[in-house]
Amino acid sequence: MQTQPGNSVESLAGRTIRNGRSGQSTEQDRVEHIDFKMVTFSLGGKDYGIDIMKVAEIAKFRNFTYVPNTPDFVRGVYNLRGDIISIIDLRKLFNLSHDDQTQGEACDGLIIRLEENMLGVIVDSIARVVGISRNSIQPPHPIFADVNLKYIEGVVEYNDRLYIILDVERIFAREERKADDQPVFDDTRRTGEAMEQTKYALAEEHAQPLQAAPEATGVDPALSFEFIRDTLSTFAGFYVSPVNENWVRQRYEDWSRDRRDESRDVQFESAEDAQAFLSPFYSPDTGRFWSQEYCRRIRSLLPESQPTTFFVWNAGCAGGYESYSLAVVLVSKFGEARIKIWAHDKDLMQVSSAPNLVFQANTLPPEFREYTVTGTNGSSFSSEIKDRIVFEYHDVLHSNSLPAVDMVLARDLLSFLDASEQAVFLENAAEKLKSGGIIVVGEHERLDDSSLFEAVQSELSGVYQLR
Amino acid sequence: MRVEYINPFVESAYSVIQEVLGVEVKRGDLYLKSTSMPVMGVAAIVGLAGDVEGRVLFDMSKETAIKIANGMLASMDMEPIVTLNDMGRATITELANMITGQAVTKLHDLGFTFDLTPPAIFTGDNMEVSDPGVEALIVPMDIPQGRVEVNVAVRERA
Repeated sequence: MQTQPGNSVESLAGRTIRNGRSGQSTEQDRVEHIDFKMVTFSLGGKDYGIDIMKVAEIAKFRNFTYVPNTPDFVRGVYNLRGDIISIIDLRKLFNLSHDDQTQGEACDGLIIRLEENMLGVIVDSIARVVGISRNSIQPPHPIFADVNLKYIEGVVEYNDRLYIILDVERIFAREERKADDQPVFDDTRRTGEAMEQTKYALAEEHAQPLQAAPEATGVDPALSFEFIRDTLSTFAGFYVSPVNENWVRQRYEDWSRDRRDESRDVQFESAEDAQAFLSPFYSPDTGRFWSQEYCRRIRSLLPESQPTTFFVWNAGCAGGYESYSLAVVLVSKFGEARIKIWAHDKDLMQVSSAPNLVFQANTLPPEFREYTVTGTNGSSFSSEIKDRIVFEYHDVLHSNSLPAVDMVLARDLLSFLDASEQAVFLENAAEKLKSGGIIVVGEHERLDDSSLFEAVQSELSGVYQLR
Repeated sequence: MRVEYINPFVESAYSVIQEVLGVEVKRGDLYLKSTSMPVMGVAAIVGLAGDVEGRVLFDMSKETAIKIANGMLASMDMEPIVTLNDMGRATITELANMITGQAVTKLHDLGFTFDLTPPAIFTGDNMEVSDPGVEALIVPMDIPQGRVEVNVAVRERA
C-alpha cells in the first residue's frame, strides 16, 4: 500500500482507504476515528503508551537533586521552571533491567499530570505520539507480566507493534499507599524537609498549577505538531519530511490559529480535516487542465532549440489531466519532434479512465481547443495528442522499462511516499533522466540541494536539474 | 503495464473460467508486484510476443488444479482424475490457452498485435517465480474449487 499520490484532491481520501498499504487494511478500518492519543516510549525493550491527556510535556531531565533515603525508584527532585517535582524511574519501579546512566547525562522522560499533582518519569526513550481508536484497545493479557496487570489500561496494536497502555493514576496512587506503609520511610520522612518533596502524597502540598503547561489544549505544542504529522500519514497518506516540512510548519501555524478562532480542536478528527489541512498544498491546476498561465510557465522550462525527441515520465498522473496538458504544451512547442509521455499511477480506477477522458470543450483553455475532437458523449483529445501518451498501471517504486527521458513530472508525489520510498523514487528518476534533464516536483515540495539534483531558477518553484 | 491491456486479460479469465466450469467466479482486487513471488504448486505459463514481450502465468494449488481438471473433464463426459497426471496437466494447459487466446483476440480488436507461445506447465513444491525488471499484474480469482491467480507481466518492446 503505498499510496501513490495522484493529483486530484478528491480522489486522495478514497484512494488511501481503498489501496490500504499491505497489512493495513484492517488497521485503516479501525483508525477511521481517532479518539485516543498516546505518547509511546520504550522500557526494557518493550513498547508502552500513556494517554496524552495525562502528559504535560516531554522532557529531558538533567541535574536533578538526589534525595537521600528514598525508595530506589525515586531518582530525586527536579526544578521544573521553579516548581519542584519528583522524578520516578519507571524501569526501577517495574524492576526492569536497564543500563545505569552516567551521572549528569540527560535522561528521556515525561512530565505526567495526575489528578492531584505532577511528577516526572524516566523511560528508556520516547518514541512518538500515536493516534488510535479507543475501540482498538484490547484488555491486557497475562503474558505482559513485567508490569502488574492492574496497572495496564489495555494493549493496542499499531503499525505491527504492540503497545501496553499504562494507567498512571493507578500506578502512582498505589505508590503513595505503598510508601506510606513502610515505616522506615515514615520515620525518616518526617525528620527531613527535603524528604517531603519526594513523597507523592506530600508532594500534593507543593503542587501548584504549572504555568508552563498550556491549559487550553492540555497538550504541549511540540506534541501537538507531532500528532498532526502522525495523523497526516494515517488519514491522508501524507508523509512530513524535509521535502515538505517547511510548508507543513507554516501551514500548521495558520491552521491552529484558524481552528482556535473557530474554537475547534487543532487536531484532526477525521480524514476530511486532514484533507482540509492539505488543500492549499497541491500544485496549481491539480486535477484539472492547466491554465494558460501555468502552461506558459511550464513552456518556459523547455529548451529553445527544437529537439528530435522529447520523452517525459509523468509519475503519479492520476486521472491524466496533467499528462494531457503537458502533451498539448509539448506538441504546440515541438510539433515536429517525436514526443512521448509515459504516464503512471497505481490507482487503477483513475489511470484506467485516463485514456478515454471525455470533457466539455467549452471548459478548456483556448489553446487546447485545436487539439480536440467532438463525439457524441462530449469532446476528447485528437489522436495527435492521445498517441503521444501511454497510460500505464504501474507502481513508480517498481522498476520500469522506460528509455532515457528529458523530463520527469512528479508533482506532489514525493509527499505521499515515506522516506525510503522517496529515496527509491528519486534514484529511479535520476537513473532515467538524460544528463541535464529536469524533474518537476510539487509547488510546495523541495529537494535537498546536496542530493542528486540542483535547484533551477525559474518562474516555477519545485524545478530541479540532474547534477 | 499499459492500461489498455488490463481489461482483456481480466475479462477473459473471468468469462472463460465461468463458462468452462459453470461456477460463480469472485474476482479479488487487482494489484501490482515486482518482487519474486511464491507459486502455489501448479503454474501454467503462456508466453507473449509481438508488439510486446512478456508472459501470463496461471497459478493454483495442486488440489485446486485437480478439481478444476475434473470439472472440465466431467463436462466432456470423461473419467475424473485422482492425481495430477498427463490428462490433468493437459487440461490445465488447455484452460490457460483458452484464457490467453481470448485475451489476445480482444487485444487484436483494439489494434494491438500479440502472438502466443505454446503453454508449459510447472508443478512442484516451494517454487518461486521472478522476472527482474518487469512488474506483474495479479488478478486473483476465487471459485468453489479454490483460488486461481492470473499473473500478467508484459512490457512494450523497446
